[in-house]
Amino acid sequence: MSYSEEIIVSKQAVPTFAVVILAIIFGFGLFLVGYDQGHLFSIIQGAEAFDDLFIHELTHDMRHAAGFPCH
Amino acid sequence: MKTARFIALVLLAGCFAGIIHGTANLAIVEPYLDEAIGIENQNLFSSGEEQDTPEFWVEYSSYRDWQKGGQVLAGAILGTSVGALFGIIFAFSRRSLPGNHNVKKALILAGIMWLTIYFIPFLKYPANPPTVGDPETVVLRSILYLSFIAISGFGALGFYKLSNRLDKSKKIAAVLGYAIFISVIFVAMPQNPDEVIAPMDLVNGFRAMSLIAVSIYWIALGIILGAFWQKLQPDKSLQTYTS
Repeated sequence: MSYSEEIIVSKQAVPTFAVVILAIIFGFGLFLVGYDQGHLFSIIQGAEAFDDLFIHELTHDMRHAAGFPCH
Repeated sequence: MKTARFIALVLLAGCFAGIIHGTANLAIVEPYLDEAIGIENQNLFSSGEEQDTPEFWVEYSSYRDWQKGGQVLAGAILGTSVGALFGIIFAFSRRSLPGNHNVKKALILAGIMWLTIYFIPFLKYPANPPTVGDPETVVLRSILYLSFIAISGFGALGFYKLSNRLDKSKKIAAVLGYAIFISVIFVAMPQNPDEVIAPMDLVNGFRAMSLIAVSIYWIALGIILGAFWQKLQPDKSLQTYTS
């Protein structure tokens, strides 16, 4: 006679893939909100992006409120 | 550990906490930003750089609406990114954090991270409203601020690693070690080069509200991520054995 048993297995190891993905998101988000001065949009928009400061203006108030140097 | 579940809960927790942060900023920080930008505008009129015309105010309203509207979106982005860092550290340190509930563990870690990568750097380089800050020094100030955060964060991590090698009765030595280390760094790092010329009641009010709003973020992050972890248990899986 066979029987089944269900047990909860705890796996503590943190997946490297998850760490890499989260680290990239951390770096990208921090740069976007805290430091971008047109860099991101300059990839598609060219030098004009450094004058428009689209992301800078969008994140301007949060940048000040979160303590980042702004201007 | 279930990778997709782990990533999803970390990002969602950070995003929700960031939205709370952005909303708190709109409620308590925004009036100070408006006042500071009002002073900036007056300075522009006084210096002749801008004219106090209807056209100016139309353009001003347009970009101020864009900036205010971005508060919550920027909060969500920043919250998600800082939450990602928090999630990584929580996953690695969860078992060694005190407490028998994940919310308690996450709140303790949030408190440690708030202190080491936000509050201590804030004491050295406090937040400033518009009108404070010379555009010529923004790169230097950014490097100083980020460097201080990195030094404090990696310093805390180093002393935590050291504490793992110490007996339980001697772990306080690691805390004292970090306190001495960061005190030396605090004194050694250069001051913010910009002179504060805005009214100090405005600057101090802005800093106090900024501190409260960021603290709300860290509390929210600890509660939400801890609750998600408790509910979803990404480190546990159900396995069936047949014999």
